[in-house]
Order: sequence, then C-alpha cells, then structure tokens
Amino acid sequence: MTSSLQNTNRIDALVRATRLMYRMSKARPEPRQSELLYYQMLIRYYERLLKARENGDFVAAHTVFFPSEVLYAMDIAPMHLETTSWMTALFLGEYADLLAAGAELGLASEICSPHRGLAGAFSIGALPKPDVVLWSNMVCDNTAKSGELLMKITGCPGHFLDHPFQDSSEEIAYFTDELKEMVAFLEDHSGRKMDWDRLSLVVGNMDKQLEILRSIHELRKAIPSPFHPQGFLELLTVDYLFAGHPEATEYLETLRQELEEAIAQGKGAVAKERYRLMTLFLPPMYLIGFLEKMSQEFGAVSVAEPFFCQWGDGKLDPKRPLESVALKSYMIPEMNMYAPMGDRAITKIRTAAQEFRIDGAIYYADVGCRHTCATIKLFKDILDDMDIPVLTLDCDVVDPTITSQEEIRGKLEGFFELLDDR
Amino acid sequence: MKQDLIGRFREVNQTFPRTREIIDFKNNGGMVFGWFCTYVPEEIIHAAGGLPIRIVGHSTETELEDGTAYFYVNNCSFSRSCLQLGLRHEYDFLDGIVGGSTCDGARRLFDLWRIYIQTPFHCIMTVPRKYTDRAHDLYNSQVKHFKDLLEEFVDLPITDEALLKSIALFNESRELLRSLYDLRRLDSPPISGAEIMEILNASFRMPKELFNQHLQELLHELQQSDGGRPKPLRIMLVGSVLTNPQFVKSIEDLGAIVVCDELCTSTRYWSDLVVLGNGLPPLQALSRRYLNNFPCARMYPSTERFDRIVALAKAFGVHGVISETIRYCVPYAHDLPLLADHLKQEGLPMLTLDVEHGTPGSGQIQTRVQAFFEMLEARTL
Ligand code: SF4
Ligand code: SF4
Repeated sequence: MTSSLQNTNRIDALVRATRLMYRMSKARPEPRQSELLYYQMLIRYYERLLKARENGDFVAAHTVFFPSEVLYAMDIAPMHLETTSWMTALFLGEYADLLAAGAELGLASEICSPHRGLAGAFSIGALPKPDVVLWSNMVCDNTAKSGELLMKITGCPGHFLDHPFQDSSEEIAYFTDELKEMVAFLEDHSGRKMDWDRLSLVVGNMDKQLEILRSIHELRKAIPSPFHPQGFLELLTVDYLFAGHPEATEYLETLRQELEEAIAQGKGAVAKERYRLMTLFLPPMYLIGFLEKMSQEFGAVSVAEPFFCQWGDGKLDPKRPLESVALKSYMIPEMNMYAPMGDRAITKIRTAAQEFRIDGAIYYADVGCRHTCATIKLFKDILDDMDIPVLTLDCDVVDPTITSQEEIRGKLEGFFELLDDR
Repeated sequence: MKQDLIGRFREVNQTFPRTREIIDFKNNGGMVFGWFCTYVPEEIIHAAGGLPIRIVGHSTETELEDGTAYFYVNNCSFSRSCLQLGLRHEYDFLDGIVGGSTCDGARRLFDLWRIYIQTPFHCIMTVPRKYTDRAHDLYNSQVKHFKDLLEEFVDLPITDEALLKSIALFNESRELLRSLYDLRRLDSPPISGAEIMEILNASFRMPKELFNQHLQELLHELQQSDGGRPKPLRIMLVGSVLTNPQFVKSIEDLGAIVVCDELCTSTRYWSDLVVLGNGLPPLQALSRRYLNNFPCARMYPSTERFDRIVALAKAFGVHGVISETIRYCVPYAHDLPLLADHLKQEGLPMLTLDVEHGTPGSGQIQTRVQAFFEMLEARTL
C-alpha cells in the first residue's frame, strides 16, 4: 500500500522545528526554564528517531496512552503516533498532503484526521518505517482500529494491547497479562530483554511524577493562574512521550517551583486575568500560537482541564512494576472518557468548575472525535446547572479546512463579551 | 400465502417498538429488557423470565433532532436514531437495558440512555477485543456479573435448567434461520433479500417462541415453492447495521438478488450456535458463543471477519460484494481498505457505500450500484 504523493521526512522537519522553538524560548527576556527543558526533551526525542537507523536503535511506533514506560525500560525508541501527527500540524503547519495520502488509501473522512494523516504519512514515507507497530484501544475506536492498517502499510509486525473498559480486579489482571504478552512480543522482535530492575526504577519515577502532577494541578487553583494559558498541552506531551524518564521529573519539578514562585509573587500567566476557563478536549493544534495570543489579549486562561490534567488517585509500587503500569493506565485523566460515563467523570467536572472558580468552558468539538463530542450536551447540562456558560467550537485537531482562524476568533470574542455581560 | 406469512413479520416491524406481543407480555406482568449489541447474551434475559428485544432506531431515514442534540452530529446515525426513539418515550416500557463496550457509538449510547432516559435496570459489560483464553475468562466473568445483577433485579435465581431451555430455544431460532439462508444458496432463491430483511428485523423484536413458529410455517411454504427465473447477479451485503428492506429492494430492483449478508442485524446476529457438551456449564457455553460469534469489525484480528466474509461469499456463489458503512461508524470505515484488499485477492469485487442509517437508497446510490452491476455483468459474461 503506497501512494503516488510526495515524500518529505517529517521527523527531520520536527527536529529543526523543535530546535527553533528552543532557540526562540531561550532568546526571550525571561526564559521559562521548564519550557527550555521541555524543548530539549522534544529535540532529543525526535533526534533519536531521526538517527535510529544509523544507531541501530529498535523503533516501536505506538498509539496514544500506550504504556511507553515499558519501552523505556527496554531501551526501545518510541514513536508516539498521534503526538507526532499533531506536532506536524503544530510546528510545521502542513497537513493537507498527509490527509490526501490517507484518502488515497481509502480512509473515509469519519476516521479522525490524526489517524488518517498517520496512515497517509507512512504510505508516502513522510514518517520512517518503524520496526514494530504497537497499539491499543485506549481511548477510542480510532486507536483500536489503526494498527492493522499501519502494519500493512509499513510491512512491520505489530501487537495489539486490549485494554478492558472497566476497572474490576479481573480487568486489571487481564491488562497486566496483556502487558506481559507484549513484553514477550517485544523481546522476540527486538532481541532485547526486559530489564525488570529498570522498569521498577521507571515506575518509581512515574509515581513521583504523578505526585508532582497532582500538586501542579492544585497550584493552578491560584488566582491569578500562574500557569501559561495553553500550558496543559506541555503536561500532556510530557506524559505521552516521557513518562518515567528522569528528565520528565526534572521538568515537572522545575515547573512546580516556577508556579510556586509565581504564586508567591502574585504573578499571573497573563497580564490581566479576566476569564478563568475550563478546556474540554483538544484545541486545533495549528492554531495554538494564535490561541496563546488571544489568551494574552483578552486575559483568558485555561485553568482546568479535568480530562487532561486531573490524575486519578493511588500509588504505584516499584516492587510490582507491570501491575503498576496497568494500574497507571486507569489513573490517566482521559481514561474517564473511556470508562463508563458515570458519576466519577461527572463529579470531576462539577468539582473542577467549583474549585478552579471557572467563568466559562470551551468545548473543542473535534469533528473526527466521536466519543468526546457525544458528551457535549451532558457536560453542558452539568455546567448550565452551575450557571457556567459553555462555548462549543467546531473544529478539527489538525485539519485547518474545517474552521478558519477568523471564525474561531469571532466565536471567542462573542463568548468573552457574553462573559462580560454577566 | 408466502406474502401472508411474511406479512406477520412485517406487522411486527411496522408497529415496533409498541408491538402487540410486547404489550401483551407487559400486561401479563413480564419484564422487557432492551439490548444494544450482539455481544449481549439474550438467553440470560429469557432464562430470567424476561423478554429480550433489540434496541434499534427508525428503520427509515428520519430527522434526528433529539438524537443529534444529545449525541452531536458526528456520531453514527444508528446510535442517534436509537436515542431519538428512547428520548421520545417509545421505549418507556423497558425495565432494563444491557450493553457492551463494543464501539464508541454503542458505549456512549448506553451512557446517554442511562443518564437521560433512566430505564430502571442497566448493565454494561466489558467485551474484550481478542479471542484468547484470557479474553474468554474475562468475558465469562462479565457475563456472570450481568447474570448476578439481573437475578438481583428480578429477585429470582437464574438456574442452569432455565438457561439450558433458553439456549435450546435460541439455538432453534438460529437453525431455522440457517435453513432459510440455505434456500438462498439455490440458483433461484424463493425469497428476496428485501423479504429476508423483514424476517431478520422481526427476529430480534418479538418473543422467540412465536418467531420460531412463524418461521417454521414460512419455511414449509418456501420449501414447496420455486424461485422463478434466476437473477443474473448474486450479491452479498456487508457492513454495520441495516434494517430498511427498501434499501435492499432498491438494489435488487436493478437486476440482482441479495443472497447473503454479513451485517450486525443479519448473519452476525444469528449465525453461530451455542455449543453445549464436554461438561461445559451453560453460562460458559453462552459466553464462549458470544465472544467467538461471527466477529464485528471491533474484534482483533480483522482477518477473522474477512475470512468468514470470503467463506460466505463463496458458499453463496456471489458475484460481488456491496459494503454499506453508516456515516461515522469508525470500526467499519477503518476496515474498508484492508477488506477491499482481502476481497480483491479472492477475486471478489466490492462497492463501498457510505449511508445514513435507515436510507431507502437514494438516486445517487442507485447510480453507483448500477455502474457496479454493469462492471460485474461484463466480468461474468
Ligand atoms: S482525536 Fe479522538 S478519535 Fe482521534 S485518536 Fe484522539 S480520542 Fe481517538
Ligand atoms: S458499529 Fe458502527 S453503526 Fe454500530 S453502533 Fe458502532 S459506530 Fe454505530
């Protein structure tokens, strides 16, 4: 399965883009240390992928929420598929050719654009061929269904990790066994053995990171918000790409310290905080820069993202590393959207709205993301009951043809006016 | 006579969800439980003394204002249509709902139904996506959990004896449907694909006891009749959910006969028997059947589904395959490139149609089908 469309190596472009971002951050009058660490991590991540072939690295392409801790412990180079997909839109601002290549494969437009683009990217060689493809059903049908097609396109062997829907002890045990089977698959194909001591260390790091993530979450309740307006995307990416890495701990510790200092000085992330917002789901990646500017201009800060930044309770046990990796998969904030939509998720919205004192919520209705859109009315009803207005923005996470920047600006301005009138 | 017998099924379909049988069942103090997906073992509901019926939406294309307002426009029109009927109180007679974690549309339908429609009993089962022994163990524990919850709700034990009786009844239904499908293998099937759809639709909307009786009578009649002149093209339908016989008729009117199907509302619903024996407890036999049943696109590996489609296509001597995918049905849409490849290797041409649930088949669809048939005719000449 190949395409007639043009091949340009996006990993190479991502390395250049992240280096540029790093230099730009560093050149600022008061560079944020955590941001510099973040870009350094990204640069290393994509440099490793770029040089994987010449360094004899074994590369595993994997879908979102796939437990990359296991790959880290086995010294396997990870390629986070969806993140790479949206980084391409975020940093390179070009995605149309990847979507066109996806369409050429016969992928219908109902499949979410990050996945259509990914399949397209592999088929035209815009992403390098990995050694294995790993995927799971965390967190939607798109992730569950993507792997087999990618195996076919890349000609790579693959492994599917079946994550149970609910969290009974049988289900957690099932998932732990699934992980064991995946480790065996990786050992077979990579010729590398799982380093169980290293996995224990990684789990220990992860546990520490969870504790910091929870405290960062608490710090963001401060008024004015000390965290930069779209900063949650950084937190997401750090867990997606660097879970359990010591550099991630350093990044999180640095960020926590920065937030503590800002709070002590009463310093907000925007010059004048006017609107404290709840963000529901992912904003369009190609508009992040523009949204940041608008946040500054209007004093609008995302302070709470219950399904991105509010981690579940519990501790990980390095003595039971694989069980801990299984357990962590149930603590991931987004997993509340995968599990039955019960009281837990609904309570999260309510308490976050209260505790973070939000003025309004923005629901990014990604046209390709069905399960997140199916809760728009439900979450709106909950917030309506609390007299909190919700703006639903139709968009696509990577495809700019769905909504223009002007439309988004118009809707956001209207929403801010509505908040002013109240 | 044949038309009268099919008419009995048609009547059920036309009055559903408020059919005479359901109302009678309720009036006699029975409990009715709606299920959302073919991974829900109906026999357990039956063994508890309940009437299991499948929750489906409108069989025709309709405005889905409520369904869309609650679900948003980018969820499949099948789920939206089911919810629409629920929100409009068409299913208010239900005592319970049972679902499975099968796809995003189905699980969200369950969530929204539970929260907004508030049918008293509700249970959703985790359905693994694999067929491994561990997956079977997990699914079996989910099925057991469902049984335990239901026992508590109806306040009666569900005995093995009752389960065995229900299994026998539902297996009888499956055997009868198999005999019906066997008639479709003939050069001149005595029944059209559109008529078959009336029967299939009724199969999950009425008590099995009555369904089996009606079907037996129809089979008897069909076995005596001859199908007339063979149609030049034999077609197989594959895809997600399809319940509008008009859609099938619009295809058949172009000069073909639909002789077999692989749909959530057809073969995938009824095909496999519950196999008892080897000392397997009935509950375990049930859960094995439901997880191993003709797979939905959600299952891994997809080749299980593809191989069974090919086997069916060959057994029924089809010339071409028409795939219908409901818009925003991701599992089936995702399978299409791989399925197309798989069928191509077997020399089976496929036409893919993207439709809204309930469509009777638009002019545009007919044009595409016509062109497909012309291509098939050129090949078969
Ligand atoms: S955007 Fe939505 S549909 Fe796409 S991978 Fe993410 S969760 Fe799944
Ligand atoms: S399988 Fe497809 S059509 Fe059926 S409920 Fe799921 S998404 Fe909708």
